[in-house]
Amino acid sequence: MKLMKIEKGNLSKLMEHLKKDNFRVIGVTPDGKRFSEKFDETLNFMQSDTPPTSISFKEHFFLKTEALFYYKNNNGAIDLKEPVIDERKTVVIGARPCDTASLPILSKVFNWDYADDFFNRRVENSIIIGMKCNYQDDYCFCNEVGLSQNSEKGSDIFLIPDGDAFIAKTITDKGNKFIEEFAIFFEEYTGNPPAENKNGHDEKKFDYESVKKWLDNNFEHKFWDEAGETCLSCGQCAFVCPTCHCFDIVDEQCGTCAGVRAKNWDACQFSLFTKHASGHNPRDSREKRYRQRISHKFKYYNDKFSEILCTGCGRCSRGCPVSTDILELLEEIDQIAHSTTN
Amino acid sequence: MNIYKPELVEIMDIIQETPDIKTFKLQFVSKKMREEFSFLAGQFAEYSVFGEGECTFCIASPPTRTEYLECSFKIAGKVTGALNKMNKGDIIGLRGPYGNHFPLEQMEGKNVVFIAGGIGLAPVRCIIWNVLDLRDKFKDVTIVYGARSVSDLVYKRELEEWKKMDGVKTVVTVDPGGETPDWTGEVGFVPSIVEKVAPASENSIAIICGPPIMIKYTFPVLEKLGFTEDNMITTLENRMKCGLGKCGRCNIGNVYVCKDGPVFSYKEMLELPQEY
Repeated sequence: MKLMKIEKGNLSKLMEHLKKDNFRVIGVTPDGKRFSEKFDETLNFMQSDTPPTSISFKEHFFLKTEALFYYKNNNGAIDLKEPVIDERKTVVIGARPCDTASLPILSKVFNWDYADDFFNRRVENSIIIGMKCNYQDDYCFCNEVGLSQNSEKGSDIFLIPDGDAFIAKTITDKGNKFIEEFAIFFEEYTGNPPAENKNGHDEKKFDYESVKKWLDNNFEHKFWDEAGETCLSCGQCAFVCPTCHCFDIVDEQCGTCAGVRAKNWDACQFSLFTKHASGHNPRDSREKRYRQRISHKFKYYNDKFSEILCTGCGRCSRGCPVSTDILELLEEIDQIAHSTTN
Repeated sequence: MNIYKPELVEIMDIIQETPDIKTFKLQFVSKKMREEFSFLAGQFAEYSVFGEGECTFCIASPPTRTEYLECSFKIAGKVTGALNKMNKGDIIGLRGPYGNHFPLEQMEGKNVVFIAGGIGLAPVRCIIWNVLDLRDKFKDVTIVYGARSVSDLVYKRELEEWKKMDGVKTVVTVDPGGETPDWTGEVGFVPSIVEKVAPASENSIAIICGPPIMIKYTFPVLEKLGFTEDNMITTLENRMKCGLGKCGRCNIGNVYVCKDGPVFSYKEMLELPQEY
């Protein structure tokens, strides 16, 4: 780990320089909604006390629609062609800990036994410049899922606001090399090492371990009937989520004899998601699908990959059209768990 | 490497098994794949019709026979509908093999009981031929197979072949009302026929595949006959897209059917949440 300093003005200049250098630079859009190449060039989003973007930065690594290959049918002779991937080096600037942590979490499922190189190449080609967060609202719960406003997980370089500048902490070799390559924009940091800032709140809103233990033993419970009751099965929660990764594979025909096989975002809340061709559907009700959502995030993924499939960003709750609040549900599970053990 | 890109296979022959079930004999277009492709009984693959999409079925031919790969499918949805329209010489895609396999080693030196219903015979047929091709390694073989009606029986020519083999007891049944005037086989549902055939449970292992209702009622019959929970093996199906443990739809609790399955013992199934 190395500590450097970068003035806010220099950070803007660095981003301009990178763009000219054919980097793909991704920051937050002026409306604060998403990460994009068309980001706010004044870097106004580099304030740590504003809400996170409405949509996570996942869409730049796990694309909403990804061409897997192109096919052509010339009178029965099939020709398959690999898609061209944008191989430009990418820099993501201003991601909060609840975004950056999603990359190592997602990397587990995209790499067990079979490596998804579409995801891997994008991550390998990217420098993630994360930023300390000072925002906290009623939907946030990063502390409860093992992260914090200071988590460097998933960042290559981590920025900590320091007056009109940022302290730049290098986290990975990749981050180190990046700072060396663009050293003229940085200066030595001579101040005291940044204090291990206290988390946004001391008291945990729920205890993950008791929630996990409850999930281990309560696949059947009346809680699920109520939890899924109001869900519209719209999938909003999955689409804004930094860690949801379910996808569909479909052929999109262009004309009569050619097309693309694409991997598209999907969501476990959709009623057709698990429906068999026979008509049988193992998760045929909103209650079962909501149980799947919670269990996948807070139990199954952890059982399998030793990671919680949630960064506590609260986006699913902020955007839910029927105000389903995942934090409230987790708190409720925690309460049920405690009332039954006591 | 692009894990989602299939290999090309040619349809070498098509067998119309029943009015709505066909078997394809397939061969890889690439010589390298013909030489290198290997799999184990019970594994499955993703089959593509370019322009329509992919669907999942088991490999229905045994690993002991390498000239062709075979799959059997029932016309049910978009891709199987498109497969049904394909002809000999047409090219489709194949990704695989995926998933775990039947416990062939655990079966060695034992009596083997195969129980199947409808198109559920496809994965079982793969392991039946695997066992019969290595006949000396196994003791008595019992096959109980049933379908709704006589016209719904698949692999009819092989059922006859199995009936004639020494050391193989083959019992074929159709559901009541599904028999024809000249039907000489059994009439009755698979679980009751298993009860009637009463295969010995000592030093035996049973492989079961068929409609969920058949599986559900066959386990208690076998238990009554003395089969233990880990000597009853079945293969589950669930909707799949990737087959690679990523797309997120085939899980039953924390088990991914595409990677941890599709083959499970009854013991393992009892540990799964009831969501399949």
